[in-house]
Amino acid sequence: MKNKFYKTAIAALLSAVVVSCADDSEQEKETIKPFASRYQAQEFQPVFIKNATILTAAGEQINDGAIYFKDGKIVSVGDDLSEPSDDDLLVIDAKGKWITPGIIDVHSHLGVYPAPGVQTSADGNEMTAPVTAEVWAEHSVWPQDPQFSLALAAGVTSMQILPGSANLVGGRSVTLKNVLGRSVMDMKFPDAPHGMKMACGENPKRVYGSKGRAPATRMGNVAGYRKSWIQASDYKKQWDAYNKSVEAGKPGKKPKRDLKLDTLMGVLNGEILVHNHCYRADEMAVMLDIAKEFDYKVSTFHHAIESYKIADLLAENDVCSAMWSDWWGFKQEAYDTVPENVALVDKAGACAIVHSDSAVGIQHLNKEAAKAMTSGVNMGLDIKAEDAIKWITINAAKAIGVEKQTGSLEEDKMADIVIWDGNPFSVYSKAEKVFIDGALKYDRANAELQPVSDFDLGAVKPEENRL
Amino acid sequence: MKLSKFLLAGIVAATGFSVSAESILIKNAKIHTLGSQGTLQQSDVFINNGKIISVGKKLTNSADRVIDATGKVVTPGIFAVANSLGLAEIDALNQTVDSVTNDEMSGASFNLDEAFNPNSTLIPHNRVNGVTRTLVSPAYSSVHLVYGQGSIMSLNGNYNPLIKSAVAIFGSYGESGSGRVGGSRATALKELQTLLDEAREYADNYEAILAGEYRELGFSIDDLKAMQDVLNRNTPLVMSVNRASDIMTLLRFAKKNSIRLVLKGAAEGWMVAKEIAAANVPVLIDPLDNIPRSFESLGQRIENSSLMNKAGVELMFLGPGFQNTHNAHTVRHSAGVAVSYGMPYEAALKAFTATPAKVFGSDTSYGKIMSGYDAELVVWDGDPLEVTTTAVSVIIDGELVDTATKSKRLRDRYKDISTDQNTAYRK
Repeated sequence: MKNKFYKTAIAALLSAVVVSCADDSEQEKETIKPFASRYQAQEFQPVFIKNATILTAAGEQINDGAIYFKDGKIVSVGDDLSEPSDDDLLVIDAKGKWITPGIIDVHSHLGVYPAPGVQTSADGNEMTAPVTAEVWAEHSVWPQDPQFSLALAAGVTSMQILPGSANLVGGRSVTLKNVLGRSVMDMKFPDAPHGMKMACGENPKRVYGSKGRAPATRMGNVAGYRKSWIQASDYKKQWDAYNKSVEAGKPGKKPKRDLKLDTLMGVLNGEILVHNHCYRADEMAVMLDIAKEFDYKVSTFHHAIESYKIADLLAENDVCSAMWSDWWGFKQEAYDTVPENVALVDKAGACAIVHSDSAVGIQHLNKEAAKAMTSGVNMGLDIKAEDAIKWITINAAKAIGVEKQTGSLEEDKMADIVIWDGNPFSVYSKAEKVFIDGALKYDRANAELQPVSDFDLGAVKPEENRL
Repeated sequence: MKLSKFLLAGIVAATGFSVSAESILIKNAKIHTLGSQGTLQQSDVFINNGKIISVGKKLTNSADRVIDATGKVVTPGIFAVANSLGLAEIDALNQTVDSVTNDEMSGASFNLDEAFNPNSTLIPHNRVNGVTRTLVSPAYSSVHLVYGQGSIMSLNGNYNPLIKSAVAIFGSYGESGSGRVGGSRATALKELQTLLDEAREYADNYEAILAGEYRELGFSIDDLKAMQDVLNRNTPLVMSVNRASDIMTLLRFAKKNSIRLVLKGAAEGWMVAKEIAAANVPVLIDPLDNIPRSFESLGQRIENSSLMNKAGVELMFLGPGFQNTHNAHTVRHSAGVAVSYGMPYEAALKAFTATPAKVFGSDTSYGKIMSGYDAELVVWDGDPLEVTTTAVSVIIDGELVDTATKSKRLRDRYKDISTDQNTAYRK
């Protein structure tokens, strides 16, 4: 169980310099990809977990099932698996226990708003201009935030860390594997696309309106987004023309790089996913029109208190909604709460997600999904555990663009797996073992497998940890 | 019976509660009486004239309404503590928030009773989810260390919600408190002592003080008057505090001044749990909180509640973080988490029912399912601490509460979504 690392499989990811082509005439296209993931899956023995109730997040609940994973990947899941013959196989009898995919939180500020919550390390909101597409959340992430380990102990294996919502465009988000590292690059989910945070409504207009500058109204917000997209479209045109000229072997004048417009252009090119903080249905509808005007896609509306009012529109546009089970009322735009929101969005055929936006909430996403499920069932909707589990796993993975790699228990996917000591939709159940890429990264029964941040060393004694 | 009628008459006279004519018989429930009868299986509760008349097996009372509670569970209604229910509609809209003041003259005397709005939309929202009463309190102060009074209010939704006024006086010590008085805990403690000393001076010299024949005092007359109930131990001082050493300071302070103390927050309470228990000081905590939010909460951990309980500390639970008002009802889920980390089930249930009633002086009428107590209870469709459980019947003052909420009407307006442009006509 000592840390050995895959050296070959990850070699490509270790390379910080990506040379896009070798042709001399195209040397101009050579680009450096800074801050690339240096995450290395930990080597671990093959694992066979049997006699468990399994929620695959691919639509099934398998009773009395087994799962087999090896070299970081899921090999097989089912109710008729025979025990594999690997010499070093770890067999876990999970009778009475439940297995789910690792929990994914699409809305977290761990690392950028670390604990303790003091001004000196509050690095989540660059509140200096309404559009700060040039900032990247990963440059604020403090890997020693003690909150990461708390989330791990709650079964969270991946999360999107977002900038705050003060700005119309708050900057780039980053998706992390929930492993402690010495730098954020050690935590970055390999090949996950960046996200870009946008915010509707009260926050931007309050933050900038109170400084006597634009935006001070919702119409000011919309003007702000559109102005930025006009600039970005123009910038993209210049780069597209330049890249074409390079391809044609007659390089034109290279446009001057602009960090802010790089991010916005990334969205227009479909490389960066839009994560839009937006509570009200009418504002979401406006945002969808802006997306059409400038030809980009909104991945997810976050907080989405009123998604139930436009669930059909969200389904039609293939947009996810990241919601709470019950938070409401802290702002006027969070007033029209409906506890059935998540269930109604799901039933309309739209992508429904339960998110946290909270260092406490991220530790209870299974229970939050259970509450949202219960509200739906109580109004007569047919929602089962095998449906509700998707709200905190595969749908979340889809929102952040990693659904092909993780988020459900299916062959060849990353073995991001949680063993729960009971039904995960019970208040009394706890994550007992958490595997990330097939390696056991948390074990409630083994203090050796409970990571502790630098900050917690000396603050809490090993036998007196926070859990 | 005589006693209960007498009590009832007193309550009606004091508060003007209307009392339902309807009698209710709840049948075949599991009943957490939280009283001498313990937990009863397949038992009944008979309610009449706003009171619990009898509790037991196979009751034969004829009732206007019978609730078949087979497979269901009955508990006292949730007593939400230290929130702004009825005093805030939207946190970020100051004009809707009455639980905070920056008036320099209103510290200990800041009383919220008349500001309470029984028609707040937060009240039905919490009531249908099982909250029947609340101890409203000032949210915080940027001016005072001791900043106001808490009162117990009913969620009955009528214009006489007050159950008991000024049952506690709230303040804070530590990082947030010291910021208001010179930036040091040392000056904050001195300020607290001065408040009590001046309150004593006021008691001894009030005639001269009111006649203006006394030296100028640092605190307002109203604040010094309000502190009298703390000095004479009628009312506890509820102090927000987190660091273990600060808790020890306050325990010494309370002992020295012979006042009743309640701790709120108490992130590092488990580190000095024995001392808190020995001083007989109850504690209010959010059992979900395991985040070291500040340098005075470095020891914060999820087992805080179970460890303090084990040491013999009397615990009361707060709802979750900043949602303690809008979602006060979810305190029951927080209690479930506390149980999963070792808190005994009944102590966890009492932590949001019987224990606050006991600490804040209303346990002779509420907090137990027993004869003579107020008919203020909830029928749950399962384990009340469980996240998949729902309140199916809520009874306050002997009446079933209306199940309508703004949320339900919104849901029903939009549940059958279509291209219908006339949504606004769905009511």
